[in-house]
Amino acid sequence: MADRSVSLPLAARALPAWRTPVAIGVVALVLIAVGSVTMPAFLINNLIRAFLYAVVAITVDLLWGYTGILTFGQSAFFGIGAYAAGLVFTHVGFSLPLAAGALAASVVAAWVVSRIIGWLAFYHGASPLYASVVTLVLPIVLVQGIYSGGEFTGSSSGLSGFDSFDVPLEAWFCITGGLLVVVAVLAWMFVRSDAGQLLVAIRENEVRCEYLGIDISRYKRKLSDVAAIVASLAGFLFACIQMVVAPEYAGFVFGTELVIWVALGGRGSLIGPIFGTILIDVGSAYLSGSLPYVWTLLVGVAFVVVIVAMPRGLGPIVAVGARRALPARARRKPAPMTFTVAPERERSDIGSLAPALSVHDVRKHFGTLKVLDGITFDARAGELLSLIGPNGAGKSTLMRCIADGSERSGGTVELGGTEIRKLAPYDCVALGVGRKFQTATVFDSLTVGEALRVARNRIEPPSRWRRETTLALPQPALDVLRLTGLDRMADRECRYLSHGQKQALELAMVLALEPRTILLDEPTAGLTKQERTQIGEIFVSLSSRYRLCLLLVEHDLEFVQQISSRIIVLHQGRIVMDGGVDEVVKSELVRAVYAGETHAAKDASGDDA
Amino acid sequence: MLNLLLDIVTTAAILFTVSAGLLIVFGVMKIINFSHGAFLTVGGYASVVVAQSGFNWWWSVPFSLVVGFLLGMAVERFIVRPLYGRPLDAILATWGLGIIVGQLITLAFGRGVQMVASPVNGAVPVFSEHYSAYRLLLVVAALIVALALGWLLNGTRLGLQTRAVIMNEGLARALGISSSRVRFLTFCTGAALAAAAGTLITPLSSVDPNMGVAWVVGAFMLVLVSGSSLVSLAVASVVLGGAQMLVSTFVDPVLGGLTIAVLAALLLRFRPEGFARG
Repeated sequence: MADRSVSLPLAARALPAWRTPVAIGVVALVLIAVGSVTMPAFLINNLIRAFLYAVVAITVDLLWGYTGILTFGQSAFFGIGAYAAGLVFTHVGFSLPLAAGALAASVVAAWVVSRIIGWLAFYHGASPLYASVVTLVLPIVLVQGIYSGGEFTGSSSGLSGFDSFDVPLEAWFCITGGLLVVVAVLAWMFVRSDAGQLLVAIRENEVRCEYLGIDISRYKRKLSDVAAIVASLAGFLFACIQMVVAPEYAGFVFGTELVIWVALGGRGSLIGPIFGTILIDVGSAYLSGSLPYVWTLLVGVAFVVVIVAMPRGLGPIVAVGARRALPARARRKPAPMTFTVAPERERSDIGSLAPALSVHDVRKHFGTLKVLDGITFDARAGELLSLIGPNGAGKSTLMRCIADGSERSGGTVELGGTEIRKLAPYDCVALGVGRKFQTATVFDSLTVGEALRVARNRIEPPSRWRRETTLALPQPALDVLRLTGLDRMADRECRYLSHGQKQALELAMVLALEPRTILLDEPTAGLTKQERTQIGEIFVSLSSRYRLCLLLVEHDLEFVQQISSRIIVLHQGRIVMDGGVDEVVKSELVRAVYAGETHAAKDASGDDA
Repeated sequence: MLNLLLDIVTTAAILFTVSAGLLIVFGVMKIINFSHGAFLTVGGYASVVVAQSGFNWWWSVPFSLVVGFLLGMAVERFIVRPLYGRPLDAILATWGLGIIVGQLITLAFGRGVQMVASPVNGAVPVFSEHYSAYRLLLVVAALIVALALGWLLNGTRLGLQTRAVIMNEGLARALGISSSRVRFLTFCTGAALAAAAGTLITPLSSVDPNMGVAWVVGAFMLVLVSGSSLVSLAVASVVLGGAQMLVSTFVDPVLGGLTIAVLAALLLRFRPEGFARG
């Protein structure tokens, strides 16, 4: 068995990422303790509720702000927690063991419901809109269920008058404040950790994530399970403190309010949603009495303005203003990420007789239109195989059929001797195929280093609480980074890279997967002459030095001629030629097919000479 | 039995009328307009204004069309247009607009429930039964909406351009079609239709500042399963509206209220294209 953990002794040094969040958390706890004895009771009462709402708002921010799953359903989990307490205390009675049982019931119920929602909303190929629809239907169904529960659920008036913990308000204030601080600190550590970068990667580019071998649906399901359980805890405490539960707390209007608070505070910032929730909720308690309807109107106007004009919310604006107002202090920059060499993993395929890629009778049709018809070929390790053919010949379709088991209509594809059946892209990656897209797809708001970290996710599971300062990458990926100078830009955000650098980064990300077969769809499109030569050298070294199998779709015949070891010509969905470079390039058939007419091909080759 | 059948047909007609505006906006602009509910409410209050001013009820139909169209113009320009590339944000912004409209209406008309008298009263004999004349009138209204939209899309130059934008916006733009104009007019038409639908449903129920919310979720689900086709919407209205009536009648009215949302969500899970031809 190969050494799967690739952390070098050097890489054990990590930033003390937990120190800042924990320090701020402790300060917040002290402030809460002081506030509990100094603040007026009315404010404390409102803050208790706002703290619990803020806990739910954090879960909304993790799901929506960070991961891009717009959810209206966190209110439902809050309601589940609240009703678990309300139902047990009303119908069974209150005691400590019963309260513990109710708590367990609320967690289990939230988890079960979240599993169902996850199964519905997150599957390979699901649209983000559909996930939102499911989270919208959940609270509606739940509330109707509560309405039709009659005496048992208290119908539209809810449950009240049950016994609960005999704890003074100040203590509840500390408990809820403590819960908020703990949840916030944990969430903060998580989103800043290496694993947390994956949330942003999913938000920015789900397809790229899937082709980096990450089962994003599973990840989303797990994330929403945790979010559901946390929201149900907040709901449980809410019922214990207020000693009243009502259908509104599970309803979708409350679900949209949570989204509004998060949006106003600043999605994807954690701290923004916390303050957004507390300020608006406490503000409503004070102002909705004197300004009936106008307060809600103002919140509505602010929400629309923020969504349209300031998608990142008010939090960042306040933060920038505060930074300007305060005397400038040197901000400690995080240590730059350095790359190390990952120890080579034992590879059973080297020297094995099975071809790296074996395509047999692959067909693809849309209705009666045959895009691919009986494609059969093998490709071995160390081969650099170019696919050429005119537009519409089916080259890119063939690439898709190799990297995604659900694409083809018939035939078989084997990667390293294993059939891909109907496997999703992330499972095909596990079989050793890496795909680089035609237009470079990277994660705009991640840095180069973070993007590569995400690419290593499958092989080296990232830490949930820390951010490593070193990243071990396989040698071919390092070569690409070095040749293109990206290794010195580990901390640059991907959005600021040039087109050529993005192409190189995507290639390095694919290589970080340690694939045996790489699919490259027009990797030189839009590159300068110099970059093209450089990337051609990289390809040759990948195939000859690292014994990878490269399958390349390319239009530039000259480039193909220079680097390929073999060429396949596709025309109208069929292989019309498969052979050595000279043989193919010199053939009349290819000139006719590829250039459409013989003269053009002659002219082109005349220029080359 | 006949009564149930008529219930199903009239329910489907109402659902179709209420959802048609949302459908054309979704079909052309690929965004969900959650302020659709607010436009319905506005239409409801348009008929209240017409009634309070002493005009005949029938004036409220053209009045709500005009009010809806004008409102749509402002909303498209200032809220929807900047969010064209951010469909999930468009849902949120239009939902926020719904809150604003609801509060403005509350400030202007109060929270209370208002009633609008039905323009046609009583029941008409249908074969052996007597059935509400107004509900039957709504079937006629739905047919008029369907025919008018069908004519707009298939019989006019603007409709041709709209269909081009639905099918391939990039290509349509390349051919010189101003897709932003098409989107603008589509949104205004959708808003006008929503307001008219709001007017049409008020004699059946009461008018209150949140009346649209109850309708918008159902309309939203119907549109999602219908894609961008009016025919699919008609099918979806009959099938899901029929299921709703059947469940309400034979099982439980509360479950009936959930039928459309739950069935649509499940349908989309297994057949993402819904009732549209895939």
